[in-house]
Amino acid sequence: MRRLKEANDDAEEEMGEINLVPYMDIVTNIIIFLLAISLTQVPLGNVNVSVPTLGAGSSASDTPEKEPLNLTVTVAGSGFIVAGSGAVIPPIPKLPSGQYDFDALTVKLAEIKKEFPSETKANFNADAFLPYELVIQTLDAMREGKDGKLLFPDVIFAAGIL
Amino acid sequence: MSRPGNFTRLQGKKAIRSFARKLAEPETIKDLNITPMMDMMTIILVFLLKSFSSTTNLITQDQNLSLTPSQTRLAPKQAVGLTITKRVVLIEGEPVAPINNGKIDPALKRDGENGYYVTPIVDMLTRVSNRERKVAEMTGNKFEAELMVVADRHTPYRLLTEILYSCGQAGYSNYRLLVLKNRE
Repeated sequence: MRRLKEANDDAEEEMGEINLVPYMDIVTNIIIFLLAISLTQVPLGNVNVSVPTLGAGSSASDTPEKEPLNLTVTVAGSGFIVAGSGAVIPPIPKLPSGQYDFDALTVKLAEIKKEFPSETKANFNADAFLPYELVIQTLDAMREGKDGKLLFPDVIFAAGIL
Repeated sequence: MSRPGNFTRLQGKKAIRSFARKLAEPETIKDLNITPMMDMMTIILVFLLKSFSSTTNLITQDQNLSLTPSQTRLAPKQAVGLTITKRVVLIEGEPVAPINNGKIDPALKRDGENGYYVTPIVDMLTRVSNRERKVAEMTGNKFEAELMVVADRHTPYRLLTEILYSCGQAGYSNYRLLVLKNRE
């Protein structure tokens, strides 16, 4: 027993103590680097959209459902055109400053949402030269009302282009 | 010969001197135990690396690619990356189709200038989607058909729809448009 203990003691003496200082240097540097990056990192988000897909048509024996809203928001050169289920609401013109009236669009869509509370889908169409920035701003105006309630978050990019 | 407990004069002096030295010198730490500190730092390092790996790829903005701000609250999710800069379309970081003045070269389109089908984008994404499908099959997951689209804020809608149409032809129908979250 004593011999075994002595052997262990000898082994410990031979191994010595691991020098952890270089490891600590590396770890400290990496931590500082990661913290510095996290300070300059910008918060990213995403906006979900989809395109129409082909699917099997429903059979005639299905129970007739409520007529879909088919809401379509079009960003034209003069302003927004909102249409749905065969009806076209008077267009929302641009502001006198020449900018699109996103607030008026949100208010209009909130009114439509009250009539169709279960509807979440909307088609989106735009002028060919409309910059991406305005596309995103329109999608923002379509997604959420002033009170934070969801309006039409499921946006489908329409196949056609103005 | 001195009995135990009795000091000789010399031994007494030595004992007093050593006691005085002990009083004069403050205790110094000869060997700092850094193991707990190392444990802590390793945990912080793992946490930081984990939080970085869970976020999407870092995006470098420059004059050809500036992201647009949005009010969205959705967090980005990892998906196949498609980047539209002012000069080129990239798929997973690989340049696929050059852009000149907001338009893709008509020679790269199957149906000419007014066409939507951009052949190199469809070809590249078909390869990527085949790979993704195989991975999904092997891992027992569902193929989500999702693309993470990073586009410059000045990209015209026509160009965007041409590219998204081509993506749709390769089997991708759901898009996550990456934006800058507005700080509130």
